[in-house]
Amino acid sequence: MFKKVVLQKGVNLYIRQTEQFKTITMSIKWISELDAKQAAHRAVLSNVLQDSNAEYREQSELRKALDELYGTVLYLDASKRDNTHIISLNMECVNDEYLSTDGVFNDALKMIQTVIFKPNFKDGTFDESVLRREKRTVIERIRSIYDDKARYAHKRMFDLMRPNSPASISANGTEEDVESITGATLLDTYENMLKNDAVDIYIVGDVKEEEIVEKFKEMFNFQEREFVRKPSELDVYDVKDVKTTFEKQDMKQGKLQVGYSTPVSFYHPDYPKMQVTNGVFGGFAHSKLFMNVREKESMAYTVNSAYAAYYGVVYVMAGIDAELEEKAVKLIGEQLDALKNGDVTNTELEQTVALLSNSIRSAFDSARGQIEIYDQYKYFDADFSADKWIAQWKAVTIEDIKQMASQIKLELIYLLSGREA
Amino acid sequence: MEKITFDNLQETLFHEKLDNGLSVYILPKRGFSKTYVTFTTKYGSIDRTFIPRGKKDFVTVPDGIAHFLEHKMFDKKEGDVFQKFGVLGASANAFTSFTRTSYLFSTTENLYENTKVLLDFVQEPYFTKEKVDKEKGIIAQEITMYDDNPDWRNYFGTIESLYKEHPVRIDIAGTIDTIEEITAEHLYECYETFYHPSNMAVFVIGAVDPDEMMNFIKEDQKGKEFSEPEEITREFPEEPLEAATKKTVLEMDVQRPKFNFGMKCNRTDLKGEDMLRQDLAVNLVLDILFGRTSEFYTNAYKNNLIDETFHYDFTLEKGFGFATVESDTENPTDLEAAIQKTIISEVENWTITEADLERARKRRIGQFMRSLNSIEFISNQFTAYNFNDMNLFDVVPTLEKMTLDDLKDAFSTISSVESHTVMTIVPKAKEN
Repeated sequence: MFKKVVLQKGVNLYIRQTEQFKTITMSIKWISELDAKQAAHRAVLSNVLQDSNAEYREQSELRKALDELYGTVLYLDASKRDNTHIISLNMECVNDEYLSTDGVFNDALKMIQTVIFKPNFKDGTFDESVLRREKRTVIERIRSIYDDKARYAHKRMFDLMRPNSPASISANGTEEDVESITGATLLDTYENMLKNDAVDIYIVGDVKEEEIVEKFKEMFNFQEREFVRKPSELDVYDVKDVKTTFEKQDMKQGKLQVGYSTPVSFYHPDYPKMQVTNGVFGGFAHSKLFMNVREKESMAYTVNSAYAAYYGVVYVMAGIDAELEEKAVKLIGEQLDALKNGDVTNTELEQTVALLSNSIRSAFDSARGQIEIYDQYKYFDADFSADKWIAQWKAVTIEDIKQMASQIKLELIYLLSGREA
Repeated sequence: MEKITFDNLQETLFHEKLDNGLSVYILPKRGFSKTYVTFTTKYGSIDRTFIPRGKKDFVTVPDGIAHFLEHKMFDKKEGDVFQKFGVLGASANAFTSFTRTSYLFSTTENLYENTKVLLDFVQEPYFTKEKVDKEKGIIAQEITMYDDNPDWRNYFGTIESLYKEHPVRIDIAGTIDTIEEITAEHLYECYETFYHPSNMAVFVIGAVDPDEMMNFIKEDQKGKEFSEPEEITREFPEEPLEAATKKTVLEMDVQRPKFNFGMKCNRTDLKGEDMLRQDLAVNLVLDILFGRTSEFYTNAYKNNLIDETFHYDFTLEKGFGFATVESDTENPTDLEAAIQKTIISEVENWTITEADLERARKRRIGQFMRSLNSIEFISNQFTAYNFNDMNLFDVVPTLEKMTLDDLKDAFSTISSVESHTVMTIVPKAKEN
C-alpha cells in the first residue's frame, strides 16, 4: 500500500498515491529512545518549533501564512510507542485540483522545510521568551490530566503496575523535567533529533511518486544516521499478590481500573490471538463485559477492556458507584473466568472478528489512519494490508481464546472515588 | 430519484422523498471501503412540550426523555440490537442532541443486511416497565460520569447561564430525579409523535450503489405501515434577550480554573440560505477576532491567559444560538476583561478589513474541503443542515459571496453586553 523509498540510511519515505481524498496528508516522524528527561525536552521542542521560526517570528504571522494556504493544517506532537519517543510533524493541505489556485502543496512543503531547519533562534539558540511560554504550556498539559478523572485513573494504573518503565513514562515527561529545560539543553535535543533520530516520512494523496522523491531529495537535507529500534523485552511478572489501591478525590462516580499482566506482547506470535481475546472480553458493545456488567446488572455506563500490547497489559475500565466496587470486581473476574473455561460461543467469536476487521478497514478510510496503522504494522510486514491481518484474526479458535485468557493474570485493582478509603 | 452534482467538489448526491414522507439521501464516495448509514429523527432534548400524535392538548414530558428513548430503542424483546450488528460486522451507535436523535452504523460488509437491521430496529418500538426501570441504573451512571467532568459542566453551565426559559438549558440526559419519572407510556407517546417517517431522514454515504440502495430502502418502507403524516406542534417559552445570569462560579476538584465566555445570539428565526449565511458569518467573525492570527490570541497566549485548551465555537439552531470562548486559565478575571475588551472595541470601532475576510474565507474553504474526506462529518453535518433547510454543499459558494456587511450584521447578533455570561470552574477551597 505504501511505496518505500530510502532517502538516506535511517531516513525512509513512504508514499501512497490515491485519489480517495481531496487533500494531501503528510507526516514526518522522528524516533528516539524513550526516556523521561528527553521526553520532556522533545515535547517542549515540538511546541517551540510549531510556534514560530526564522521566517515567521510571531505565531500569528505563521498562522496567517497557513490561512493564506487555504487553512493548511500544520502541527507537531509528541507521543510514545513501546520504548520509543516520537515527534511527529503533521500537515494536511487541499489538493490544488479542488482550488482555483495552484502551488498550495509546494508552498506548504517550503513551510515545513522552514519549520524544521530554520527555528526561531536569537543569538544562536532558541528564543528565551518562546521557550518559557512553551515550557509552561507543556506543564499545563501534564497538570490537566488530574482534571480528567478517567485519564487520571488510567495513568495511575500504569504508575502502580509498571513504575520506572516505558509503560509509565509520559511522552511529555514530568513537570520537574520540563522545568529544568534550558536553551542550551533544548538546543542539544534539537541537534540530536536532526542528526540521530530515525526518520519516517509519510505522504498520502493524489501525488506523483517520482516528483515527490525528487522534491524531498532537493528540499530536505537529511543526513544518514543509525538508530536501530529494539523491541522492549517484557519483564516476566510472576504475580503473587494482587495489589489493591483506593484513592480519594472529591467526585461522584468511582473510576475502577483492573489491571492484568500477560506475557503476550505486540511482538509475540500470539499477538493477534490476544487481540481477539480482548475483543471478546470487553472490546465491543456485544462483549462479555458490556453485556453482563452494563446490560444485565445495569451497574455501569462505561465498561470495557483494552490491550496495551507493547507493555503486556490488559485492563478493564469502568465507571461505577464506588460502593459497588467489590461486586463489580467480582463480575469482571467472572467474565474472564468464562473465557478461561472456554465459555465462548461461535457467535461471540465471529462478532469480534467481524468488528475488529471493520475497525481496521474503516481506519484505512482516513489518510491519518492509513499512516498510523501502517507505521505500527510495517514492523511485521512491509507489504502489510488490512486483509492479511484480518486473515490472522479469522484463524483464531475458541481453544486459542481459552489459552490466551489463561495467560491473563490479575495484578491490580485500582479505584479512584469520593469514597473514604 | 433526484440527482444533484457539485462539479467543483466532484460529488454527486442522490435524493428522494418516499411516499410515507421519509427523506433519503445517498452520496457515493470513490475509494472508500466503508459505508456509513444514519437514520435520524428531528427530535431532541428541547422537544419537551408538544401535542402528542392524535391528541389535542399539550403535554410536558420529563427531562432527558429523548435520550432515554434513544437508549431503549436498542433493547428488543429478542435481545440487544448491538448483537445483530456485531454478527454482521457493523459497528453501531446513537446520539441525542438538543434537536436530533441519530442512529447509525458503519460497515465494510453486509451493507443491505445491516441497513435492514437499522431500519427495523428504529421503526419497531418495544418498551416494557421492567426494561425501562432497568435502564435507569445505566443512565444514572452516565449522568454521574458527566457530573464529574469539568469540561462538560463548564459547557452546560454556560448554556444554563445564558438561557432563562428555553429548554436548551436543560441537560440532554436530564437528571437522576427526572429520569426516575419516565415510564414506558411516555416513551411510546414520544415515539409515536416524533418517529414518523415524515419527521426523519436516512443518509447513506461511502461505498454504495445509489440505485440499488434507494430501491432497497423503498421496498423496505413499502412493506411497513405508517399513519398519515401530520404536522408536529411543539411549544417553546418566550426567551428574553438578556442572559439569565451574568456570572456563575462552580467549585470542583480541579487543578486549574476553567473559563467560558458565553454570548447568546438574538437572531434565531432564520432558515435556509439566510441561516447558513449567518452561521458562516458569525464563525468568520470569531475566527478573525479570536483565532490564532488575532491580536487577542497573540496577547492572551503571550500573557498566559490561555493555553492549548483555548477554543471558540458557535451553535445556531431554530430558536436558540450561542457563541462560546473558553480556556483553562490561571487568571479568569484578566481573560474575561480581555474578551470583553475585544468585543466592545469592535462594537464601537469596527476594524475588520477586506483582507481579514479574504484570509478567513480561504481558511474556512480549506477546512471544508478537508472535512469532506470524513464521511462521518458529511453525514452528520448534512443532516443537521438539512433539518434547517440548509444544504451542506452550499457552504463554499456562500463563503465566496460573503461581504463585510454580512460579517458586521452577524456580529451584531451576538455582541450585546446584556446577553453575555461568564462561567468559571474553580478548584475547591482547601479545608483546614
